[in-house]
Amino acid sequence: MTPIMPDIQLIAIFPESILAIFACALFVMDPFIARDKKEQLGYFSLAGLCVSGVSTLFLWGKSISTFSGMIALDNYALFFKTLFLMISALIILMSIRYIKIERINLGEYYGLILFATIGMMFMPSATDLLSFYLSLELMSMSLYVLAAFMRKDPKSIEGGIKYFLTGVFSSGLILYGVAFLFGATGTTNLGEIAAFLQENGVTSSLSLIMAFVLLITGFGFKISAVPFHMWAPDVYEGSPTPVTAFLSAGSKAAAFSVMLRVFINAFALSSGNWWPVLWVIAVLTMTLGNLVALVQTNMKRLLAYSSIAHAGYLMIGLITASQIGYAAILIYLVGYVFMTLGAFTLIILLCSANMKGDQISDFKGLARTNPMLGLVFIIFALSLIGIPPSAGFVGKLYLFNSAIQGGFYWLAIIGILNSVVSLYYYFRVVQVMYMDEPNAGTVLSFSPTLKVALGITAFLTLFLGLYPEPIIKAAIDSVQIFL
Amino acid sequence: MGTNVYGFPLLSLIAYLPLIGAIILLFMKKEEEKKIMQTAFAVSIVTLAVSLLLIPGFDSTTSEMQFTEQHTWIPSLGVSYAFGIDGISLLLIVMTTIISSIAIVSSYTAINMRIKEYYVSILFLETGMLGVFMSMDFFLFYIFWEVMLVPMYFMIGIWGGGRRLYSAIKFFLYTLFGSLFMLLGILAVYFLNADPQYGSGQYTFSVLELQKMNLPLHPLQFWLFLAFFLGFAIKVPMFPFHTWLPDAHTDAPTAGSVLLAGVLLKMGTYGFVRFCLPMFPEASVYFMPYMAGLSLVGIVYGALVALAQKDIKRLVAYSSVSHLGFVMLGIFALNTHGITGGILQMVNHGVSTGALFLIVGMIYERRHTRLIADFGGLSSKMPIYSAVFAVTMFSSMGLPGLNGFVGEFLILVGAFEANKIYAGIAVIGIILGAAYMLWLFQRMMFGPLDKPENQKILDMNRREIAYMAPLIVFMFWIGLFPRPFIRVMEPAVEKIVQRLKGAGAMAKQESEEKSVEVISKNDKTVIAARIDPEKGMID
Amino acid sequence: MLKALLPSNYLPILVFFFIALAFGVVTIVAGYLVRPKNTYDQKLTPYESGILPETDARQRFPLRYYLIAMLFVLFDIEMVFLYPWAVSFNQLGLFALVEMILFLTILFVGYFYAWKKGALEWD
Repeated sequence: MTPIMPDIQLIAIFPESILAIFACALFVMDPFIARDKKEQLGYFSLAGLCVSGVSTLFLWGKSISTFSGMIALDNYALFFKTLFLMISALIILMSIRYIKIERINLGEYYGLILFATIGMMFMPSATDLLSFYLSLELMSMSLYVLAAFMRKDPKSIEGGIKYFLTGVFSSGLILYGVAFLFGATGTTNLGEIAAFLQENGVTSSLSLIMAFVLLITGFGFKISAVPFHMWAPDVYEGSPTPVTAFLSAGSKAAAFSVMLRVFINAFALSSGNWWPVLWVIAVLTMTLGNLVALVQTNMKRLLAYSSIAHAGYLMIGLITASQIGYAAILIYLVGYVFMTLGAFTLIILLCSANMKGDQISDFKGLARTNPMLGLVFIIFALSLIGIPPSAGFVGKLYLFNSAIQGGFYWLAIIGILNSVVSLYYYFRVVQVMYMDEPNAGTVLSFSPTLKVALGITAFLTLFLGLYPEPIIKAAIDSVQIFL
Repeated sequence: MGTNVYGFPLLSLIAYLPLIGAIILLFMKKEEEKKIMQTAFAVSIVTLAVSLLLIPGFDSTTSEMQFTEQHTWIPSLGVSYAFGIDGISLLLIVMTTIISSIAIVSSYTAINMRIKEYYVSILFLETGMLGVFMSMDFFLFYIFWEVMLVPMYFMIGIWGGGRRLYSAIKFFLYTLFGSLFMLLGILAVYFLNADPQYGSGQYTFSVLELQKMNLPLHPLQFWLFLAFFLGFAIKVPMFPFHTWLPDAHTDAPTAGSVLLAGVLLKMGTYGFVRFCLPMFPEASVYFMPYMAGLSLVGIVYGALVALAQKDIKRLVAYSSVSHLGFVMLGIFALNTHGITGGILQMVNHGVSTGALFLIVGMIYERRHTRLIADFGGLSSKMPIYSAVFAVTMFSSMGLPGLNGFVGEFLILVGAFEANKIYAGIAVIGIILGAAYMLWLFQRMMFGPLDKPENQKILDMNRREIAYMAPLIVFMFWIGLFPRPFIRVMEPAVEKIVQRLKGAGAMAKQESEEKSVEVISKNDKTVIAARIDPEKGMID
Repeated sequence: MLKALLPSNYLPILVFFFIALAFGVVTIVAGYLVRPKNTYDQKLTPYESGILPETDARQRFPLRYYLIAMLFVLFDIEMVFLYPWAVSFNQLGLFALVEMILFLTILFVGYFYAWKKGALEWD
């Protein structure tokens, strides 16, 4: 009789465990809290995120591989964990007032956000295809429910169902790809896969190609890359706005965090000849996203297409398959997260009892009645286009940097042309805000938490444009694992 | 890398004073219109005064960067916060502070809505423009270069007239398009410099470092020159890229047009002088005929189209296209006279065309029309106005004794030295320039005063005279005694010309060497064929 | 190269697949061959020895039924985990006990939540 003591270092999953305890406690507390006091749960989950965030910071610099090689804790994972915690906290700050107005202030809302966050946090840590798949599903399942949370609104239901179907479908494809990868190598551990391929000198075989195609399709759905993007606009439009923001910032960043590990480790991007496929997808994604965004009248749809385009830019870093490219993805994601969340915060601000506030025309003259909002939106718009001084500019600079260094000149040029196109539709909103007569009866639903969210996102978007050194340093540290 | 005589970040102070002013304005109540205007004016005057401090401290015997500031900023990218000026920048900086002050004063009555936002925009714009002329780091340069687009966009879009929304976004789109290509060029240069084969082997955005690179003409300099060319040529604007300019000028408010013509366009030509010529000397020599060709097309085309205009402002806008063709022709004559003339003409154009736009603005404020056909015989009602107009017009035409003449003369000398045909065609532009200007003046000022609306038109008031006066003084000063202006930029120009000469010589040498090599190779093979059937033996 | 294309450890699965296929085919064919083949009216009714169905079989169930059924399946399946654990408890030791307590706690949170939300009440 040998007692089984598996190789487990609980410290590696400490931040997630804390969050899980908070999430469970939240579900226990929920039935005891009256409907009009549910925001207490929001503050409770914020506290959980803070505790988890602090513990994450303490772990910085550690390098642990545990759970029989299923979970790794390194700077790369911690970088993303910190990012996800911040996203989640901002989403909750944005939601507290909004879900009251939309009459969906249920305790489960916060619980699901926490569970989705836990899933996201496990994703960059996953060093095994199975642990990655489990965390992906934990995140996705929570998000399916959140997308359809306004269950009396047909659009939300439609979005929820669409998201569920495409999500499940793409998860299935990913799983199928995982199976092929397992078939080809006999293991699901990313490190072992890489070692196997290297030992046997396999760079492409039938099952490897199948695995690549299936995985890229599945991930393509998750990051809404063209031609797997068609769910995004409907889901983004229908979902409650904070959930839309969560989808476009959180789930996209999470998908990229895994994509890097899977593609770089398992497929050895830099040595294989995978890049032409990614190149085509990236170009299609940014071009279609930007062109279709030109004709949108709904702000949420516009941001949906813009987020499709941003996925295209982000793929540049993956294509170049270089240290600087990976760092560029991380840097760009940080900027992208804050500017997108900021833009969504503005939409939430416009949502009041008698107005949905997600049409571009609802923004009419907003900068004249409220100059501060105009200024803040300009910061986000500049950042989304990639004009300095903004976090978006630094990110794009890094992406183009990697493209030029890798010799992908055409990719850089196409990226640039796309940025010019994007100027047009972002500044159409600026134009409406500054140069049109204000709408009568626009009520802004200011709340302290919303102001905090708007302040944080605007400040960080600007600050990271002026002094990006810490983020660049952290990103470069983080991608050391791919050396 | 240079000196700073005051040991004090004077350049930063100059660059950020307007920004600080803009922030102060943000905290003022928007109803206190008078106070806002006064504050804005005060800020711009203080900036002007501080910028004048540069002149006594400036050492015009050296081409070194002066008043330098250097701080590490983003070490992992090799970005540093670096300011510094030479004679070329000095002229443009002082011109910018003067024109900005004038633009602010000229807006007192012209702008009567959303005053606070307006002055915030102008001051913000001033910081952007000053920063561009001072930056000695590409990253910093690019930030200022882009940041300045936003206030200009708003100035055209909010306080403009006509199709202001269209013009505003057109201006923004065109410029962004060009500057993003420039950004790619900057990044490429950045990486090439890190390659010890071409540069210092370090990752740096420092302009001075990058200017020291030695790149081969094909393919590197060729493509990099084109990337930078797109960025700057759109800004200038050179002939095929000029279409945004007439729209932007026509629809912008007066002060916007003044700043656009006076300063913003100079950023393009400044870019060529500061970055393209020293960084890609061989490519500059290689592209010279094309650049000169485009400039000449711009000169003649701009002048011809100006002749056909019915709107005064559009006429002046097209005259800008023509004048900037002269500037570009001077710069791409690639010799001392041409470049000196080009830079001086940048200042001249800022003064004269700025003044012309102000003059158009005055008449528009009085009559709310800019059609030439709506005027006629104004000289009897507005004697001061017509006198000022006449001087400005002569200055713009290049009448001897006024500033335009000195610049154009130097440019023509330079062009003549480079290629006689260039000078010949450019002269046509001068003649056409005289034609459209004189014709405009004749139609507006002389003839019968037959429009009843023009009967009660008022002459220039004291404020208007006050802000036109310095411009008139500069026209005569540069026209009669240009020496100080030229002396200041001499060393900087000489440095560029030396670099170009080296390149020209090198390019020649290279091709000669090549031909020699070819010949010797041929000889060898011939010899080899003759002497030994086994060719390999000889080598 | 070939090893990567056709992993040999999949052979048992292939064999298994054919056995499963054969089992199905063989039973159907055998049944067909063996059974008596005399049909009459009573033989064609849905339940040969039962009552005749009166309404359509596809009637609507109360929504709550699904909820209860789902919860039942959920907790039922989770309980299945307890059996293997209980059987090999002696070998697994303390660590597995802690693990199982954690598992049950989480399960209990879910149960508590469902209970408090009234998911277990029929009306």
